[in-house]
Amino acid sequence: MLETEELKKVFKGKPAVDGVNLYMDKGESVGLLGPNGAGKSTTISMISSLIKPTSGDVKLKGQSVLKDPGIIRNVLGVVPQEIALYNELTAYENLKFFGRIYGLKGKELESKIQEVLEIVGLKERQKEIVKTYSGGMQRRINMAAAMLHEPELLIMDEPTVGIDPQSRSHILDTVRHLNQEKGLSVLYTSHYMEEVERLCDRVYIMDHGQIIASGTKDELKSILSGEETIWIDLDRPYPDLVTDLQSHDGIRQTIETEKGLKLIVPKGSKLLGSIFQAAERHQAQILNVNVQVPSLEDVFLHLTGRKLRD
Amino acid sequence: MGNFLRKDLLVLLRDRTELMILLLMPILLIVILSFALRGILGGDTSDFHMDVAFVIEDDEEQGVIDFIEDLETMGMPPEVMMELERVVEEVKPYTMLEDLMNNESVSNMVTVEELDFSEAEEALKNEDVTAILLIPEDFTYHSLKKMLLNEGDGSELKMTVKDYSSIRTDVFLSIVNRYVNTVNFETAISQALIDLGHGDVLADRAEGEVMEAREFGGVESISAREPITSFQYYTVSMAVMFVLFVGATIASKAYVEKKQHVFNRIILSNRHPIVYLGGKMISASVISFLQLIILFLVSTLAFRTFPLDEPAFWGGIAIIAIILAICVGGFASLLTALTVKYENDALNHIFSGGIVTLLALVGGSFFPTSEMPEIIGTIGNWTPNGAALTAFLKWMQELDMTTILPYLIRIVALAAILIISSILIFPKRRSL
Repeated sequence: MLETEELKKVFKGKPAVDGVNLYMDKGESVGLLGPNGAGKSTTISMISSLIKPTSGDVKLKGQSVLKDPGIIRNVLGVVPQEIALYNELTAYENLKFFGRIYGLKGKELESKIQEVLEIVGLKERQKEIVKTYSGGMQRRINMAAAMLHEPELLIMDEPTVGIDPQSRSHILDTVRHLNQEKGLSVLYTSHYMEEVERLCDRVYIMDHGQIIASGTKDELKSILSGEETIWIDLDRPYPDLVTDLQSHDGIRQTIETEKGLKLIVPKGSKLLGSIFQAAERHQAQILNVNVQVPSLEDVFLHLTGRKLRD
Repeated sequence: MGNFLRKDLLVLLRDRTELMILLLMPILLIVILSFALRGILGGDTSDFHMDVAFVIEDDEEQGVIDFIEDLETMGMPPEVMMELERVVEEVKPYTMLEDLMNNESVSNMVTVEELDFSEAEEALKNEDVTAILLIPEDFTYHSLKKMLLNEGDGSELKMTVKDYSSIRTDVFLSIVNRYVNTVNFETAISQALIDLGHGDVLADRAEGEVMEAREFGGVESISAREPITSFQYYTVSMAVMFVLFVGATIASKAYVEKKQHVFNRIILSNRHPIVYLGGKMISASVISFLQLIILFLVSTLAFRTFPLDEPAFWGGIAIIAIILAICVGGFASLLTALTVKYENDALNHIFSGGIVTLLALVGGSFFPTSEMPEIIGTIGNWTPNGAALTAFLKWMQELDMTTILPYLIRIVALAAILIISSILIFPKRRSL
């Protein structure tokens, strides 16, 4: 349905996006994962025809979006990272304005407004001024405005940044519902690993303007199939213990976390005994130990050497 | 476009700060400036008064006697003689001037003092009088000869003033001109009838026309150039100034829309970008028109500034307001195009903070340009607000569309330039 070919954007001599190739099929939910500044927003701005690529092309159903932006605009809904609404208007007034912009009118417009308000769970509060809403509610209306014209493809740029858990959960459930029940194609960008894991069938991992890995969640995790993660909770930080473990031959990565340490070790390496001995040597008090299979976060760490939220 | 207009109106109505700037501020300024500067305009007759000196070297009675004696020597038929003598009584030039000066509307503004020439010169020098009007020797005799017999060169009134650029001089000059026009009118009618050999008709016609003309001279001279009161002046001048702020206000909203990515949402709807620009232009035009009409109506209802019951008057006001509003729409359009292209709100601040003030000053919003050097008035009449101000004032005085047409054409031309420029500047496709 959608593909990009060697998409590139250069700002002031520096490439923000550098040769991105991605594709998505109809009804698919695809994640674009990467830290802030990875080039995700620039990529989706080019895909949605808002900015012109320096080189490369975007194709929708085989047709060049570069040549005719109208072909994607007609089927596209974009949920931007910013609250792209009129703060002084009510949710209803905003939706009415944007609905009319899309050519909806009369009963059809009214019915679509009520439908999207129902989907985002704000039907009861539609007559309130947007600026009086919580951040989460504003984001939900932001999303509703992108769905009024029943798009085939929904692009969501970090739609859950800075909102309360309840609204976040509501948005994620909504996207899942739209994708699975209504067959809406979704391109979801985020730096929240768990959101992408929860929503997306396939994932593109971006860093420094390039796609550094792609595939289904399982395919990506298989990159780390020979590894496992050991989470160790400590009563306080122990820098000497970290140094000690980093020099251990069997441990591939030692990362300090808020609660203690995260160790990437070869699968089935039976290193727990050595770890406990090291803790004893440094008189470190271990509160909890947890062994996990790798997550996408671990994959990202493995590929880039840094965490997603760095 | 209606969608954009509805949205822009709602956004503006909920922005109390902007509403205060666009509506409350001008009303406050109308009141403050009208009271503070009421003396400088002609319509505030209680505060506007002038003394003029009449130097009368003519002896009207003797002039009439001399004229009748001339008639007798011409051997006219007795009935024509009788009628002419009757007409002479009706059209005695100095009596007509006296009647005009005694008219209530004029006498409220002008007090006539009869002085000899040296006293008058001294009074003018000391600024005790605004002007000296010299009625020369044999004024009556020569005027009647010219008026009724078309003989001689007539006579000339001589007016001496100290300051030609003052409003008082202008007003007095217009009164005297109206008088002169009336006398000339009499002359033309009388001569035409005599030339046609209708001496018998002359008497009947003359009496009727003289009465009509005298009424015309006395009343029309005032109504044709009805002086503008300070409330009228500042209602119009503040309205034409504050309406310009609408342009910057609407363009600033475009900046917010761009910043908040609402603009992107609109562009992604696959509407042509010019629709957005057109929406801004129409919104600014309609809001400007509403602002103008609200200011005029509030001023009328609160201060009885304009007559409420004259549809023709309001029709003209509406036409000028519509044309000015379209021009403001042009400003909004250009500022929006520049704001969106450069993603910068600075120009809107420069426009509302500096350019509007400059336009207002040159266009006569703070002081009448007649009180400033002539060049300022000339430049001011080429600014949209200055041209509109002049058009409004002229319409209020003369209710004549042909008089204000040149000013309206200037505003329309500027609007066209602004709109075309904005279309050329506004980003058309994707480099948004």
